[in-house]
Amino acid sequence: MKRSNAFQFHSGTSIFHRLDPLSKLAWLIGVSLLAFGAYIAWIQIIISAIVLMTALALAQLRPLEIIRSTWPFIVACLSFFIIQSLTLPGTHVAFTIGSLRIYVESADYALASALRIYTIILSSMVFVRTTDPRDLAIALVTQMHLPYRIAYAFFIALRIVPTIESEIKIIRAAHAVRGVVKSRSVVGRIGEMKRYAMPLLVGSLRRASMMVMSMEGRAFGAYPQRSFVDAPHAGPLGIALMTVTLAAVVAWYAALMLGFVHAIYVFAPA
Amino acid sequence: MADLVSMPLQGDALWLVPTAGGQTSNPVADSSSGGAAAVHGAAPLPRAVEPAASPLIDLSGVSYTYDGEVSAVLAGVSLTVRPGEFVLILGPSGCGKSTLLHMMNGSVPHILNGKLEGDAVICGKPVATTTVAQFATEVGMVFQDPDSQIINTRVRDEVCFGLENLCRPPQEILARQAEALDQVGMAAFGDRSIFELSGGQKQRVSVAAVLASHPRLLILDEPTANLDPAGMAEVFAVLARLNRDFGTTIVMVEHRVDELADKVSRVVMMDRGTIVFDGPPREAFSSRRVMHSEEAEIIPTASWFPQASEFAIELAAVSGEALDPASLPLSADEAVGFCCGRRFAAERSGASPSSAATATATPHHPTVPLLSIAGLNFGYDRDAPILKAIDLDLSSNAIVALLGQNGSGKTTLARMLVGINQAPAGTIHLEGKDLSLLSAREIASYVGYVFQNPDHQFVTDRVDEEIAYGLQVRDYAPDVITTRVDDILDVVDLKRYRDRSPFSLSLGERRRLSVATMLVLEPRLLVLDEPTIGQDHERAEQLMGLMQRLRERYGTTILMITHDVRLVAEWADRALALVNGEIAFDGTPLELFNRADVLQAAGLLPPPIHAISRQLAARNPDSGLGPVLSVPDLVSALMATAGSALA
Repeated sequence: MKRSNAFQFHSGTSIFHRLDPLSKLAWLIGVSLLAFGAYIAWIQIIISAIVLMTALALAQLRPLEIIRSTWPFIVACLSFFIIQSLTLPGTHVAFTIGSLRIYVESADYALASALRIYTIILSSMVFVRTTDPRDLAIALVTQMHLPYRIAYAFFIALRIVPTIESEIKIIRAAHAVRGVVKSRSVVGRIGEMKRYAMPLLVGSLRRASMMVMSMEGRAFGAYPQRSFVDAPHAGPLGIALMTVTLAAVVAWYAALMLGFVHAIYVFAPA
Repeated sequence: MADLVSMPLQGDALWLVPTAGGQTSNPVADSSSGGAAAVHGAAPLPRAVEPAASPLIDLSGVSYTYDGEVSAVLAGVSLTVRPGEFVLILGPSGCGKSTLLHMMNGSVPHILNGKLEGDAVICGKPVATTTVAQFATEVGMVFQDPDSQIINTRVRDEVCFGLENLCRPPQEILARQAEALDQVGMAAFGDRSIFELSGGQKQRVSVAAVLASHPRLLILDEPTANLDPAGMAEVFAVLARLNRDFGTTIVMVEHRVDELADKVSRVVMMDRGTIVFDGPPREAFSSRRVMHSEEAEIIPTASWFPQASEFAIELAAVSGEALDPASLPLSADEAVGFCCGRRFAAERSGASPSSAATATATPHHPTVPLLSIAGLNFGYDRDAPILKAIDLDLSSNAIVALLGQNGSGKTTLARMLVGINQAPAGTIHLEGKDLSLLSAREIASYVGYVFQNPDHQFVTDRVDEEIAYGLQVRDYAPDVITTRVDDILDVVDLKRYRDRSPFSLSLGERRRLSVATMLVLEPRLLVLDEPTIGQDHERAEQLMGLMQRLRERYGTTILMITHDVRLVAEWADRALALVNGEIAFDGTPLELFNRADVLQAAGLLPPPIHAISRQLAARNPDSGLGPVLSVPDLVSALMATAGSALA
């Protein structure tokens, strides 16, 4: 009975849950490409807004859930924004705080950078929350023709992450009961990991051995190929999403190359 | 996403599995349990048991030594199992029973490598030359922990997994998964997430996942070890039905014999790698034997006997009657029938019926207040409370059992007592001090916590350092540490292993070491999280004996989270039942087992001896009999019925 991890699959009925994994993967890659290519704040604001609307409307994530799951990233992005705004050089002063001058160019770039990180985090969360790792593995086999043993290895790795995460929590709790104090220094953290390693390794080996026996006992790997029930495929909605994403990426990079994009600063000069 | 897709099959070649002789065969079509009806998705017909049919398991003089080990874990084992049998394998931990099971689907020697000697033939295929995957259509294997063996995240996907690996057409796969889910009573669960299921439901999915391939042989390795009594009953009911209605051959290792003894057709007992008994259950449980633990200590087999059988043996011994194995009861109902019409001599009684009936009913009233919980509500998410309005006082020098279904909040509550879960201010007090204001070390000086998996608690590389660790971080003087460590090593009988790595010990020894790491701090309250999971009854008894000594020596209160009702009946002074995060019952174990409504809500079953005594009391209202919790108490009460015949 533990709080579930926000960055793992939760079953649901939203539009994004119903989309096939590869369409969503294409969307995620497209959003990341757009975010990386956009160094101007207003573009990043638009991309972030679209991703946020996607999370709320198409993936049906609740606002509180998004904030609760991504607050460390929100804090990190805010810190990043403040530090960059204060330290990057610029020519036009946007405003002053005491004797500190905040430049239009530096604030704008800092905002774009911070939003870029958050956009990628949020779009990854949307993808992971709405995509069953098994469906992704099957799509890689049936649509991308990846060997099924490799796809399943990938799936099992994703499947086992929350279990290992939960086991680390239990080990940490068990060690705390023994009087082990959680270390804040890097050296202490390394020592902590060394202590966790043995029980984690023993547990993981036991679990891996059980999984192997469970899978081989049900003929996994007996044949070079296998059949699939409920293999996902790209429907009209998936194709539409991929088309729009591709069009947006092509359009943006073409506009960049052709010099159509002009910097319109979010922070106007004072 | 609901379309059916099949990977292109490369002609019939994909259907062919090489056999030992280098020939090829279609594994599904060859399976005797398959056949045309199964392939076309029709419901299977009940199969008759054919004792004369060729054996599914045929082992002759089989020995097995794991790679890197010197001594053989199996030594000259011979065993024959025919279609339709339901075989229960019993034996102390380390006797080789799991190795024997793993040999039945080829995991031994093909995954768990080692040296195999003798003739081992399963479903007509030699184990030495048949891979695990080649056994997939013949043998289905279910393990102890459903979370480790379930691969997929959705019920339907898990049941389809094996058939997909066998390249069956999607239509056939869907038909067979529906049939398999129906067989385990989960027809409506196909679209459910695995994570939404209870432990019992997950284990039923595991059974369905192997049934879908229509195996001729179903192998189960302690499938209910992690389940609460309700989950256990679900699984046993499904297995009994599969064997009775579908003729499925089942071989199973299981410690919980009370609910299983009357369902199996045969019992095999193992000791130190050999079979020491093989016969029908009544014969198996009619006389006591001596076996050896993993640490080579002598242990009585009576600890694995059904309580109903143990009662009959004891009753016969006290009344001086010879016990006919054919009349040995295996269940509570049979035990009641066993007593009917009998007369017992009063002069042999050691106690009056009234005292026997009420001895365990007397509530324990310890005097020193230790822990107080008032108005505790807790949940990881505000809209999903796990603990609701908990009010509880615990005093010193008591053994308290905390019971309830999986997910009822037992572990969450117990973890609040050691600060793993943050207690809301003012709700939990330890000897008058607010727990929320105490540091982790301060809490640890009052409360110890023994985790389910002892490996999780080890922080050093040596047994003695492991025990010393808690004292060292609390800055005890070196001479005090040495004295205390030596003392505790004696108490837990681990002195001879003091230089060894904790991870090199046996499970029972690791469990004792994890208890020792807490004992050395002399806590006022010791929490045991599922101390009997994965352990045989004898080992659980040893652990509780240790707890009893701790209680006598330090006045420690033991709070144990458990599903083991026999353990509760035998050792606990007080029982708490949690239902959906609320304390639904707080009283003596006898009072708890008298409350059918609480037992049902908490997913508990009373110990067989309680059911027997209650039924006898109800049928003989003037006999002075009443519900009791131990075999000696019931035998004494019966002997005091002054020679009147029981109804």
